[in-house]
Amino acid sequence: MALEALLIEDSKTQAAQIKDTLESVGLQVRVAFDGPDGLREAVENPPSLIVLDVKLPTMDGFQVCRRLKRNPATQDIPVIMLTEKADPKATMSGLRAGADDYIPKDIFAAEHLINTLQELGIL
Amino acid sequence: MAQTTGPYFMQPPVMSVRVEDSMDIMIVRDTVRRAGSLLGFSPANRAQLASAAASLAELVLKTGEPQELNLNGVRQGEKVGLQISSEAAWLANVATSNVLIALRSKLGDLVDEILVEGDNPPVIFMVMWLSDAARRDAQRLDEDENGG
Repeated sequence: MALEALLIEDSKTQAAQIKDTLESVGLQVRVAFDGPDGLREAVENPPSLIVLDVKLPTMDGFQVCRRLKRNPATQDIPVIMLTEKADPKATMSGLRAGADDYIPKDIFAAEHLINTLQELGIL
Repeated sequence: MAQTTGPYFMQPPVMSVRVEDSMDIMIVRDTVRRAGSLLGFSPANRAQLASAAASLAELVLKTGEPQELNLNGVRQGEKVGLQISSEAAWLANVATSNVLIALRSKLGDLVDEILVEGDNPPVIFMVMWLSDAARRDAQRLDEDENGG
């Protein structure tokens, strides 16, 4: 059975692109469009991986990541933050929140995402 | 290309990226992640290295003078690390201590060491050590578990 990823991303266009990337390496992908929905999805049906945007409505990605890592039901799920906020402060905020990687959304993002999935043993 | 070997023994990988426009910042990030991967840094540490190198590349871009950004493995005794360096002629008339304070302020804890050496031209060196990075990863997890 294919491993499942939960993608938390509010932009439908970007969600479609990231979903394509994840599906191209054999993952099944569920999408949540905001933090609270993503947290609920993660708890109710824990995925093998969470890909998380930073800029989200209601609750930002750092808050979502912190909550995921403090909840025993979700704390062991790898979280990869995929983001447009790539300055040093945001990078450290993401990693301190417990993200396993913090990848800027640039032309190399898909490649870095797949490399990280391999290193984390997901692929 | 100028030699910017720094205070430590150099070892592979040895890479460089010429920084002359904003596209090169993405190439810097990508190249640093590859170099970090070859040396065994975790994805989280590679994110830190990429962010530090991109910040240095952005500084280079702001000067308007194209510059090589050098990435290489370094060794000190048993310790292995990744060094990011660039000549910084634009720093020639600035006190080193002020430069270090400004860089530390911008980069925070992204790298273990920031050095400025020489004066003709000065060279900025940033180093992340693999063993220190692993310890930091563990600390970060502890802080997270303790709500830090």
